[in-house]
Amino acid sequence: MRRAGLAMCAAVLGLAVLIAAKPPDDLPAPVTAPGSLPSRIDLIREQHLPDVPLTTQDGRAVRFYSDLVKGRIVAINFMFTSCRAACPLSTANIRDVQEALRVRLKQPVAFLSISLNPEIDTSAVLHAYAEAHGAGPGWTFLTGQRADIELLRRSLGAYDLDPELDKIPTQHTGLLIIGNEPTGRWKAIAALSHPTRLRQAIERVVLPVTEWQTGAVAVNAVPYADNAQASIRGQ
Amino acid sequence: MPHWRTKMLSRRDALTIGLAASGSALLGLKSLHSKGLAPSPLTTPFVEPLPIAAIARPVTAFATQADPTTVNVDGSTAFHVHGPRNVPAGAEYYWVEEREALHSFHPQLPPNPVWGYDGTVPGPTFIARSGTASLVRFVNSLPLANPLNIGAPVTAVHRHSGFQAPEDDGYPLDTFATGQSRDFLYPNVPEEGLQQNEPSTLWYHDHAIDTTAENVYRGLSGFFLNFDARDSLAGEEDTSPLALKLPGRMRTSASGLPIREYDIPIVIQDRKFDQAGFLSYDSFDHNGFLGDKFLANGKIQPFLKVDRRKYRFRFLNGSNARVYELFLGNNKPFDFAIGTDALLLPNPVANLPSFRIASAERVEVVIDFSKYAAGTEIILENRLEQVDGRKPGNLVQPGTPIVKFIVGSNTPPDPSRVPESLRPVFLGPAQLVPLVKVRRKFELVRSEGAWQINNLFFDENRIDARPKLGDPEIWTLSSGGGWVHPMHIHLSEFFILSRNGKPPPVLERGRKDVFRVGAGEGSIDILVRFTGYTGRYVFHCHNIEHEDMRMMAQFEVGP
Ligand SMILES: [Cu+2]
Repeated sequence: MRRAGLAMCAAVLGLAVLIAAKPPDDLPAPVTAPGSLPSRIDLIREQHLPDVPLTTQDGRAVRFYSDLVKGRIVAINFMFTSCRAACPLSTANIRDVQEALRVRLKQPVAFLSISLNPEIDTSAVLHAYAEAHGAGPGWTFLTGQRADIELLRRSLGAYDLDPELDKIPTQHTGLLIIGNEPTGRWKAIAALSHPTRLRQAIERVVLPVTEWQTGAVAVNAVPYADNAQASIRGQ
Repeated sequence: MPHWRTKMLSRRDALTIGLAASGSALLGLKSLHSKGLAPSPLTTPFVEPLPIAAIARPVTAFATQADPTTVNVDGSTAFHVHGPRNVPAGAEYYWVEEREALHSFHPQLPPNPVWGYDGTVPGPTFIARSGTASLVRFVNSLPLANPLNIGAPVTAVHRHSGFQAPEDDGYPLDTFATGQSRDFLYPNVPEEGLQQNEPSTLWYHDHAIDTTAENVYRGLSGFFLNFDARDSLAGEEDTSPLALKLPGRMRTSASGLPIREYDIPIVIQDRKFDQAGFLSYDSFDHNGFLGDKFLANGKIQPFLKVDRRKYRFRFLNGSNARVYELFLGNNKPFDFAIGTDALLLPNPVANLPSFRIASAERVEVVIDFSKYAAGTEIILENRLEQVDGRKPGNLVQPGTPIVKFIVGSNTPPDPSRVPESLRPVFLGPAQLVPLVKVRRKFELVRSEGAWQINNLFFDENRIDARPKLGDPEIWTLSSGGGWVHPMHIHLSEFFILSRNGKPPPVLERGRKDVFRVGAGEGSIDILVRFTGYTGRYVFHCHNIEHEDMRMMAQFEVGP
């Protein structure tokens, strides 16, 4: 109410243009909801982040939630090493993004690639795959029991409502699921989007909104190599 | 041409890993979904009246501001020019604050911290008069702290169906965050100055990249109505020979505020609430979020006391993903349908038994309550079943009540009418189709957990179509998959030439800017023509979860 009044006064006085330059300590406080609002962070953990046992490409036994996600910023995809179409491309995209983010973000982003073919994709197989694709530190490849991985896949929203399509593993290799566990902000984006777009989507989950790139800067942020091609690709 | 690291969808990959299906089969169909949210608490229907949003009030003119993000990083000309605005003389200035406020969806639920334009859900209704521009400053005063964990306090405002410059269109990257604001100029002139293009029911809502679905769900939407000499503000009281005299008139409330009577915009939305009664949302459901509580103008299942006379209702489906088919519970037809999406129909459609309405679609109807005895109760209900974001199912009865109309004993004079001719079209398919030289096809496909348009995801640096200013084109929108996508094209309104090769059904014979495509709805051919503005605009699925997953493309209108 007070703010609206001020805004109206400012408008009347023609001083409105100053509003954009408000100091940060003048930012609005949240309205406190009466009654008890159950923790939405806890709800996400209960519903979407099962603490299933997994094994890393180094053979380390880990729990999904407590060892890999809790307190972290994560970018998760599902893959399998024998997948020929999408997986090598999304793996390459993730590698690019990982490099770009290392320079740009203070906060580390943990990349988790989970095999949908865990019987074949043993730790050793995943280790070789990670090496071959130049995966840097902070990128964990994971295998485990199929039932656990299926639970994880569904919990994270990587499923198809059509049961026939859901049986096709490549249907689940296209998503990059991005989460900021401490803040509870989760998004998903197609892993085959341009790495610049993946990077921006991750940044939007990590950074406070006041630091999001906007307008022309956001659109053209770090114009990428095939930019010229992109501009002539229109019909 | 190949997009960045594009690929062909390969079923062969399914074989390379043996059969991954064993897990799915074991868990069964039900558990294909994540656990999902528990049903909302019970609420008693029809305990509160239907709210009608306040009419937005102009403020004293203010100096417009420059956009700090005008210059491209490569130093080239701004992609969206947005400087101090050239505001036409006589424009009305508005100042709208996006802020958090406590809102009661229902008296049996606790007040909820919603995000609303001016703190209300829905936001204030703009009333524009053709020829008088609106300059609206939207100020983002949303809190950074967000314990409800729905939405992000960063916004872009799209005036849906608006004929406006690219920089005023709420392009998804033109965001402004908490503590920032942005000015939007709405000229309120019809395309090419033609009376046939005067819009009727527009709406405005958030369009920020990656967070549109949650921000709209949290409350950021409202109506924007346009009136001209024909469909006039004076409405039924207009004595001009031009006036249609549709139901509706202006009055002043006891507290001195303008109110519109007998012409009622109603936005229908579905929402879900947790066991404590707080709004809930599932960020992991990308298929399209469905609620189990039905809101009309922000209240769960309200009632509306009506006089025994004609009313104009402007229905908007403001839901994220749900498709409705609305009926009157007494199995009487709607007396007239008079408009679809932004425009009045050329001629009214009498005795419409029901209408289907997907996200962002609008249908305007006239209901004449004079034929009912005082005390009659008529329920507006949805009979279309839908269990997930994929597509609706069958018609079922009983339907889900949304609003109860209670006919009162008042029988006031009713000078309103529904004339035979509403918004005649002089420049339409008959004139334009012979001039078409360009045809484009847009195929909607599901690919690996997300949706693509012509095998591509949205990329701000890629233009997907370059129509020329004023040149008519035919676009075919089709989908092979089992999903319904309400596709929305910015900037203009379009004719549906055919649906599945046949003439369009009766409510698709006017002009529209949202088109249901795919699954049972099939494909469409539309007549597209952009005038007035050059520049980039988006078109996208208006299942807003799909939209946030980048089921979006853009066209650049060139000279
Ligand atoms: Cu869609």
